[in-house]
Amino acid sequence: MQLTLAYHPVTSIRFGNRLNLDGTVLMVSQDELRALVLEDALIQSVDFVIAAPGDSLRAGPVFDIVEPRAKAAGGSPDWPGILGAPQTAGNGTTHVLSGAAVTMLREDSSGDSRGATGYVLEMSGAPAAGSHYGTLQHLLVVPHTRPNISGAARQRAYRLAQLRIAVRLTQSALTIVPARTEFLDIRDAETRTGLPRLAYIGQIFSRQRKPEADEHILYGADTDGMLPTLLHPNEWLDGALVPSYHASIGGAETYFYQNHPVILELYRRHRAGEINFAGSVATIASANNFDRERNTRFAANLTKWALRADAAVLTKFGGGVPHTDLSETARLLETMGVKTAVQVTDLARDHKVESALLFNFPEVDAIVCIGGNDTHWRLPQVERVIAANSGLAELLAGPLEIDSLNVVGVANQQGASRLRSIVY
Amino acid sequence: MRVVHYLNQFFGGLGGEEKAGTGLESRDGAVGPGKLLEQLLGSDCQVVTTLICGDNYAVENREALTAAVLKKVRTARADLFVAGPCFLAGRYGMVSGALCAAVQSKLNIPVITAMAAENPGADLYREFIYIVDSGDNGAKMRDVLTRMAALAQKLMRHETIGSPKEEGYLARGLIRDEFVERTAGERLVDMLLKKVRGEPFESEMSPTTFAPVPKPPAIADLTKARVMLVTDGGLVPKGNPDKIQGSAATRWGLYSIKGCQDLDGADYEISHGGYDPQFVRQDPDRLVPLDVMRDLEHEGVIGELHEEFISTSGLSNPLSNTRRMGREMAAKAKQLGIDAIILTST
Repeated sequence: MQLTLAYHPVTSIRFGNRLNLDGTVLMVSQDELRALVLEDALIQSVDFVIAAPGDSLRAGPVFDIVEPRAKAAGGSPDWPGILGAPQTAGNGTTHVLSGAAVTMLREDSSGDSRGATGYVLEMSGAPAAGSHYGTLQHLLVVPHTRPNISGAARQRAYRLAQLRIAVRLTQSALTIVPARTEFLDIRDAETRTGLPRLAYIGQIFSRQRKPEADEHILYGADTDGMLPTLLHPNEWLDGALVPSYHASIGGAETYFYQNHPVILELYRRHRAGEINFAGSVATIASANNFDRERNTRFAANLTKWALRADAAVLTKFGGGVPHTDLSETARLLETMGVKTAVQVTDLARDHKVESALLFNFPEVDAIVCIGGNDTHWRLPQVERVIAANSGLAELLAGPLEIDSLNVVGVANQQGASRLRSIVY
Repeated sequence: MRVVHYLNQFFGGLGGEEKAGTGLESRDGAVGPGKLLEQLLGSDCQVVTTLICGDNYAVENREALTAAVLKKVRTARADLFVAGPCFLAGRYGMVSGALCAAVQSKLNIPVITAMAAENPGADLYREFIYIVDSGDNGAKMRDVLTRMAALAQKLMRHETIGSPKEEGYLARGLIRDEFVERTAGERLVDMLLKKVRGEPFESEMSPTTFAPVPKPPAIADLTKARVMLVTDGGLVPKGNPDKIQGSAATRWGLYSIKGCQDLDGADYEISHGGYDPQFVRQDPDRLVPLDVMRDLEHEGVIGELHEEFISTSGLSNPLSNTRRMGREMAAKAKQLGIDAIILTST
């Protein structure tokens, strides 16, 4: 499987009469995008706002962030299983509007354990400096769906609209020569000798909750009943995956599946001739011990016997249950002779080491810990607050105390976080 | 900068074990190791008062000693309080830790002490104060004082304190956040490659070992036992009367099920953000199994089911909360004469 990413840098987004990539300026027609979004009868109206790094602007709650990309002819459809047939992603050429993002807001805060504000996008100050999203040119999409529809239907409408917009924007670049290309191919992992084989195991969902009706996660499937499965690393990057509506603690966004920090780092090391990138496994955190035993063993066995990995990086999706499954998978791998490094989120709300981990396996000793509980900001009033209704706008108006875990991108679970825990 | 230094009878030059009963004495200026400490702290620092006390007196009169030391430190208008180094001396270590913690919390000035990791004072106070790792060798006095002085200077200047390894103090078991240059993905792969190559690597978190909980004696006769249901699944009466938080709960509640045979979802709600509550909402017996407990009661398998259940939310809850709540729940159960508890979770 070979994938070429064709990068078209975007340094500014502007509204204009027609969609057009003019150098590094992306001109966007609101009328065209509105017509596209309103093809879905569940959405009554939609607003668009441009946000750039440094703007005195706050938006939220964020539903998801997507990098605008579109497939060139000859590969899989865009967003297979969601917008097109579920053919294999990760082949052919994909055009990328790098530096840009399509950022969808939601009409209510997600609630759960993430608090009233949900995830907030902040474009200036310390929170913006702490998140990669603070560096992007955002097209904010503010949806207004029909009242009295289910939460599942509403979120499905957000997802479809956001992905359609992201594809449409990028179609403006399909005929333009890209500024840079990147070729993603690990076939030589099977022929280069003497290098350690490294794999990636990523949780893509946690069965702490049932997926919502018709929720798209893996090629449009909701993962219910799924066993851990092999994926080519390119599939993660090229549209096989979107996060569940229920991301928790720090969050996971489509943007960092497309720009997966672990997968891209493994690719970099592979190209540098330091490792052979053996492949990847997508797994799920379990609902109970029975499910846990089955899933963790499947994930470990695939990594050891199908990928023949010498070592694996593991990341989780969600909170405590995923943390437990992550550590059990790592423990199993270590007993099989596969070395591991795991990423956990900060569970220690009392800032004590004893509260930080839900495992104590001597073999699972390489741990990256995303911080979060010790970083809070007092957000000032900003010039523009973008939200789907006046209640949410008032909530986000500031001055506002906010946890770093509620600023999108800061404590991201896919490996993008620059925030870490320091033990002292 | 004005420094007050606390020493025991031995380092204060009063004598050995035979002088351990000596009460608190005060000297102007530096004494014993304080002289070198003063040099190492630099020309802008002066040990204005040295406090000396016998180890036995200090341990036996801890409250009086603490009050007296606080008064002396306040009177001396100290900018820094130093105790020790104590090396392996247990009584000296415990008192130094206690005095440093008291001065820090009551007078809000920097404090520093030093002792061996094995000193009982270390485990008692490392969470609250910086304790320089002195090792057990008193001959390393200069080296230990040098690290104490360096760390004290940083504390007085409110500088960021580096890792235990960099600064030479005993890890406090606490966590703080820091933004770093490399993403978590880069750090993960780097750490894994080092592990694969057999090179040293530094984990960002370390596991904690907990003492096993001893098994209580078996119930002699279950048919006479009073059994109570306790859950951390967040089931609370409608309206959540105790306002139990859905995450990192600090409270728990005791709720009546007197005369009730079967829980009705209409009477309850769930304060817990960590699982899909729809199934418990449909039938709360799935979490708090009152219906089957009533069956067991009627069949005579258990003596009786206590007429209240305890509930809290077990999501993202740090041990400092859960330990306290667990003790409170256990005390309550004892008080109610409960023989056995069934814990249900999600």
